[in-house]
Amino acid sequence: MHARRWIPYAFLAPAFIGLVIFRFTPICLALSGSFFGQSIRGASIFVGLKNYAELIGDPSFWSTVSTTLIFNLIINPFQVVCALALAMLVRRPTKLVDVFRAAFLLPMTVSIALTSILWSILLDPTLGPVNGFLRFAGLPPQPFFRSAGEALPTLILVATWKGAGYWMVFLLAGLLAIPKELDESASIDGANAWQRFFGVTLPLMRRPLAFVLVADTAANFLLFAPVYIVTNGGPNDATHLLMFEAYQSAFAFLNQGRSLAISTIILVIILAIALVELRLFRSDDGSAA
Amino acid sequence: MKASALAIARHLALVLVATILLLPVYWLIMSAFRPADDIFRYAGEFGLATLLPRRLTLENFHQIFAGTFPRALFNSLFVCTATVTLGVLVNSMAGFAFAVFDFPFRRALFIIVLLSFMMPFESIVIPLYTLVRTLHWTDTYAALILPEVAGGLIIFLFRQFFAGIPREIYEAARVDGASWWQIYWQMTLPLSGPTIATASLMMFIHQWDAFFWPLVATSSADLAVVQVAIARNMTLEQANWGALFASASTAVIVAAVPFFILQRSYVRVVAVQADK
Repeated sequence: MHARRWIPYAFLAPAFIGLVIFRFTPICLALSGSFFGQSIRGASIFVGLKNYAELIGDPSFWSTVSTTLIFNLIINPFQVVCALALAMLVRRPTKLVDVFRAAFLLPMTVSIALTSILWSILLDPTLGPVNGFLRFAGLPPQPFFRSAGEALPTLILVATWKGAGYWMVFLLAGLLAIPKELDESASIDGANAWQRFFGVTLPLMRRPLAFVLVADTAANFLLFAPVYIVTNGGPNDATHLLMFEAYQSAFAFLNQGRSLAISTIILVIILAIALVELRLFRSDDGSAA
Repeated sequence: MKASALAIARHLALVLVATILLLPVYWLIMSAFRPADDIFRYAGEFGLATLLPRRLTLENFHQIFAGTFPRALFNSLFVCTATVTLGVLVNSMAGFAFAVFDFPFRRALFIIVLLSFMMPFESIVIPLYTLVRTLHWTDTYAALILPEVAGGLIIFLFRQFFAGIPREIYEAARVDGASWWQIYWQMTLPLSGPTIATASLMMFIHQWDAFFWPLVATSSADLAVVQVAIARNMTLEQANWGALFASASTAVIVAAVPFFILQRSYVRVVAVQADK
């Protein structure tokens, strides 16, 4: 549509000023700051790639990286499967389905910080009602967050409790877009529910599933609150994720160069994930731009 | 016969999942109304008393509302309201430009918008702190509000909705002598109720949920938002369970109110967007 040349830019200006100052400037600052360190007097000095070299030579950094990778390799597929299961459960409208849809979204209103606090209380080895229930059911009580072996799996379950309903909405949208007739005709041809799911539904859900998997990965890569609030990276570094390492470097060890080097690595990973996501998204929506 | 067995299995699964998702929140809120001594009294040994309170009291709520919690609640609500108000305005203007005009660099600028929507805010928190400290903005409301205003997802939502409005309407208004600002402000925005509601809900929940950024951007107790205040109280005065449960319950309930009012339009708008 035709308008005087500057008009579209005037409409865009407030949002783009915000994006440039608060999104793109920090990205540049992370990159440039990662090349600086501090002299003994506290002055900022250019150190080139020293921050990165130190990270590469630091075994504790690599253990953080491997914990973060293991965490992501398990939680992302797990959350997507849970979200798909939830979406399948509320796919067909029945009388109660609206109530259940709302119930599945309830954890969205419990912030990630409160989710962490709530579950650290629920799973407390001595006070918590979950162990009370296990004893009641005749099962052995578990240490959950308090043991190096169970902390990471517990973190995965708790984060999934919070996240599954959020991702369900996107998959439900995909399921509702599948024409009912496809399912019905497969049913008439004698396919059972299992065959219909794998033969009809799943192939048609490839795009939404891929989109949710990638977006979920970006979110989980940055998980911070439960580690900070509940486990403090422990026990025995079992939940020491990359974002927590970046936080500690900056605010506990006051090593800004190291912290910004880790931030840059995180940003590169997130940017790579975002580019994959962009591809999926644009092939989904030819009219996007 | 087989179909009804499947239906029963599905309903059992629905009830089981709903229990896992709802019961912890119920227990949190119910416990907040118990005398502080009772909160864990029945937790270790599971029974009816774990889930049904024997004695009810508002003591925990009296206690938190006499302390610093109202200030934190005000901070959170103020920051959320300001973010949502500015965010609806700024992002809908950008969405309007993308939906209505053809202009040089439109494609490139839109890809920037999509990229910013796919890079979660948390990824830039630490370098953003470097920036905000350089600007001497730490411990200000501006530091909590302004970085969250412009957002790719919200621009995209508005753009998708505005693109569905027939362009002939704008042409007719132009012939009648309306300025573009008048068209945006008096025609387009009033048509976009459900999209504004969904965008507001998304920004509200995101800002209400925020923990990492408020934690690093503010250190003074006067500027602590609810999430940070509760987390700090948990480590500082761990013995005071009554106050912790009451403040956490209040935080959940405040977020749930707009959510359940707008939840249906949220599901519908997200479904339509994902469908396009």
